[in-house]
Amino acid sequence: MNFWIVLTVNSITFGGLLFLLASGFSLIFGLMRIPNLTHGSLFMLGAYVGGSIVIGLFGFKLNFWLAAVLASLTVAALGALIERFLLRQLPGDQLAQVLVTLGISFMAADFCLMVWGGDPMSVATPEGLGGFARAGGAVFPLYRLAIIAIAVVVAVALWLLLDRTRLGAMIRAGVDDPDMARVVGIRVSQLFTIVFALGAGLAAFAGIIGGPILSVYPGLDQDMLPLALLVVIIGGAGSLLGSFVGSILVGFIYNFGQALLPELAYFVLFLPMLLVLLLRPQGLFGRHVP
Amino acid sequence: MATSALRLENVDAFYGDSHVLQNVSFELGEARMLGLLGRNGAGKSTCMNVGMGLLSARRGEVSVFGEPVTKLSPEMIAARGVALVPQGRRIFRSLTVRENLIVAARKPDAGSKHAPWTIDTVFAMFPRLKERSNQMAAHLSGGEQQMLAIGRALMGNPRVLLMDEPSEGLAPQIVAEVMTTIRKLKESGLSIVLVEQNPNLVFDVADDIVILNTGGVAVVSTPAALRQDDALLRQHLGVF
Repeated sequence: MNFWIVLTVNSITFGGLLFLLASGFSLIFGLMRIPNLTHGSLFMLGAYVGGSIVIGLFGFKLNFWLAAVLASLTVAALGALIERFLLRQLPGDQLAQVLVTLGISFMAADFCLMVWGGDPMSVATPEGLGGFARAGGAVFPLYRLAIIAIAVVVAVALWLLLDRTRLGAMIRAGVDDPDMARVVGIRVSQLFTIVFALGAGLAAFAGIIGGPILSVYPGLDQDMLPLALLVVIIGGAGSLLGSFVGSILVGFIYNFGQALLPELAYFVLFLPMLLVLLLRPQGLFGRHVP
Repeated sequence: MATSALRLENVDAFYGDSHVLQNVSFELGEARMLGLLGRNGAGKSTCMNVGMGLLSARRGEVSVFGEPVTKLSPEMIAARGVALVPQGRRIFRSLTVRENLIVAARKPDAGSKHAPWTIDTVFAMFPRLKERSNQMAAHLSGGEQQMLAIGRALMGNPRVLLMDEPSEGLAPQIVAEVMTTIRKLKESGLSIVLVEQNPNLVFDVADDIVILNTGGVAVVSTPAALRQDDALLRQHLGVF
């Protein structure tokens, strides 16, 4: 019984981490129609930059949470630059956007290899969260429970931002009809930069938050990007609820698949994607985009 | 004519290789209403799109109260006090009625002579929108969507209002309501361009008339003069 409970908690934890990664990806695709294949790299960069600050690799040390904030802001700024100076030049050209973002992801992977080398980097669990919680006969690492709480807090904050503020309404107006949004005076290009930076920052935040359980290593980007794609395809691009539900679903399928059917883990993982694409191409909570 | 609120001067515009506006010139006087008429494909909506910056004029100049806006983006033209009620309404369907209005809110220009439009004044003008303020805009009827499109444009506290076929697809009773609203807006001193297919609607409210034919200005006149000239209307509009 404990095995199932622990597996369930691990699935929710991993789903929470995926939500932090995929919500930005979904928002960027939903608003800007940009399939941002650098998203895995932004996750990995966040993990490397944050991890380096935690262990003092850049000549200064900060505690885990400050490092996470600093790494997120750094990568958010990088995301803003990518959007302003590269993707802005390719409006509406999805093939070019795919190729450019894929190219940047290769460059980022090489850059990380050059700066941090090929050995995995271990990131220590933040102070105070290294212990365990016991419930019944089961034991849960506190840090995994903290990730679930962080994901819920971020989900609520994003929901409040998108659904309860004027900025959020402007973002949704931009998703609905970008030209009309500009006609009513909304600076859609600025919104695009804000959304891209927010998505990049969230990916980086997920990277450093995931560091203590996933560690940081070359290829982490390529491990995470397909999962983010999977979440967005299943949940529906641009839908926060879709990202949340999709993340938890993928978290469960990933963990249970690996535990119960390790030989077929990827088959089990991608089968739902195939079914969604065939039966409901816009995703479970996405809107049909003609 | 008093100060020019909106002026198109020798404007040429293209959709791809298609030359849709050819040397178009007309002006809207301050606090006046210009009716822009023409058959389907005459270039009426293209004039609105050029005025709003959705389509750039390849030649010629567009100005708002004397200030050139030819190369400006729609959001910059909106900031100069121009608002558009577009053909087909194009409300933000996944936003509520209230959200549709608040995203378009803009403070009036300093020294504006008009009482500022706020969400309360828009709701006072369209009580049905107030009743449905928390409903998704996609669930409104056609007439309510048109009211929302007008209300959204007013939230920008415009000095110039471009209205592209506001009666399109509406029941006669709703059209009458919309025209009453347009009349009130005109009386408030707003400068308005009203695009319509139906000349009778425009003749009742407009001060000046421009008729477009195949992308060029064919007639510049007044409703009173045109009412007397059936042959001219038949030639350019195929009516009367």
